[in-house]
Amino acid sequence: MLKKLLTVRNLVILLLAIALFVISGLLGLKVPPPEVALAAEPIFHIGSFVVSNALLTTWIVTIILIVVAFITTRRYPKDLTAAKNSELVPSGFGNFIEWVVEGLYGFAEGVAGKWVSKFFPIVMTIFLFIVVSNWIGLIPGVGTIGFLEHPHGDKAGFVANGAFLTAQESHTAGEGFILAPFLRAPSTDLNFTVALALVAVFMAQYFGVKAQKLGYFKKFVDFSGFKQNIGMGILYVIVGVLEAISEVARIISFSFRLFGNIFAGEILLGVLAFLIPFFVTMPFYGLELFIGFIQGFVFFMLALVFFSLATMGHGEEEHH
Amino acid sequence: MDVEGLKAIGAALAIGLGAIGPGVGIGIIGGKAMEAMGRNPEAAGNIRTNMILAIVFAESVAIYALVVAMLLKFV
Repeated sequence: MLKKLLTVRNLVILLLAIALFVISGLLGLKVPPPEVALAAEPIFHIGSFVVSNALLTTWIVTIILIVVAFITTRRYPKDLTAAKNSELVPSGFGNFIEWVVEGLYGFAEGVAGKWVSKFFPIVMTIFLFIVVSNWIGLIPGVGTIGFLEHPHGDKAGFVANGAFLTAQESHTAGEGFILAPFLRAPSTDLNFTVALALVAVFMAQYFGVKAQKLGYFKKFVDFSGFKQNIGMGILYVIVGVLEAISEVARIISFSFRLFGNIFAGEILLGVLAFLIPFFVTMPFYGLELFIGFIQGFVFFMLALVFFSLATMGHGEEEHH
Repeated sequence: MDVEGLKAIGAALAIGLGAIGPGVGIGIIGGKAMEAMGRNPEAAGNIRTNMILAIVFAESVAIYALVVAMLLKFV
C-alpha cells in the first residue's frame, strides 16, 4: 500500500505543497482569522431580489446536478421496451451514477414497500442535492475568494495589501476591510435547510392525504376515544395535539441538524487551519467529506421514514 | 460581570452540558454495536451501518447545543 503511494508524481505533489507552505510563510502572506458570518452575504441584486452567495452556490449545484443527469441519461434509447440489451448497458460515469441510484433504491424499497416509486424521486433528489451542496463547500476557494468590503457596524476590519487581506487589524472602527465571499456552501445558510425541511414535512402530509384521504387528519383531531369514556376521549385529543407539535418540531430538527453539522464543520476546518496548518487539516477534510455524505443520507432516510409513517393509518397497523 | 463575560460562560455551559448526553449515548451505541458484532460477526456490515446512523442521531443533539453556543458567542 505504502509502496504504491510512493510514486514520483505523488512526491512532486507533496514537495510542491510543502514549498507553497514555506513560501507563503516567508513572504509574510498572513491572513486574518476566520470570521464567523451566520447570515449569507448579499453579492448582487436582480431588481429588488437579493442574491446571496449561498443562493448563487445553490444555483451552481442545481446546474451541476442537471448536467450530470443529462450526461448519464442522454445515451439511453427513447423506447426502453424495444431497445436491445447492448444499448442499455451503462459505462463509465453513467455506471457509477446507476450504482448509486440503484443501491439507494433497494434501500428505499426495504423501508417504503409498495410506495417506493412515489417516494424515491423526491428523497433521492434531496439526497443528491444535499450531498453536492455539502461537498461544494470543501472545494478550496469557496468561502475564501470574494469582495473586500468595509465592515458593518462598529467593528474594525483588516488592512488590505492589494487584493489580499492581511492579518493586520485597522484600529479605527468602520475602516479596513472584511471578506464577502462569492461562494458559500448552501448548507451553511439556514434558508436552504429550512426550505428542504419544509418540502420534506409538507410532502409527508401530501402522501398521508393521498394514502388515507381525509382519514389522515384523524391523527391530529381524534374524538373516537369519547365512545369508550370521557378519560380516554381527553387523552386522544391531547395525543392529537402532541402529534401536531411533533410535525412542527420535525421542521426544526431537520433544518438544524443539517445546518449545524455543516456550519460547525466549516468553522472546525477554518480554526484548525490556524492552529496547525495543512497537516492536521487533511484528516479533518476526510471527516467533513464523510459527514457531508452521512448528513445527506440521514435526511434521505428520515424523509423516507416520515413519508411511510404518514401513509400508514392506525387501523392498518393493528392488522399486521 | 460584563455582558461579554456572561455570554462566554453561557456558551461554554451550553456546549459543555449539551455534550454530556450525546457523549454517553454514543458510548452506549458503540458499545452495544461492538457486542453485537462480537456475537454475530457475519452481520457486522449491517450493524456498522445502523450504528453510524444511530450515532448521527445522538450527535445531532450535541450539534444543537453547538449551534446555541455559536449563536451566543458570535451573534
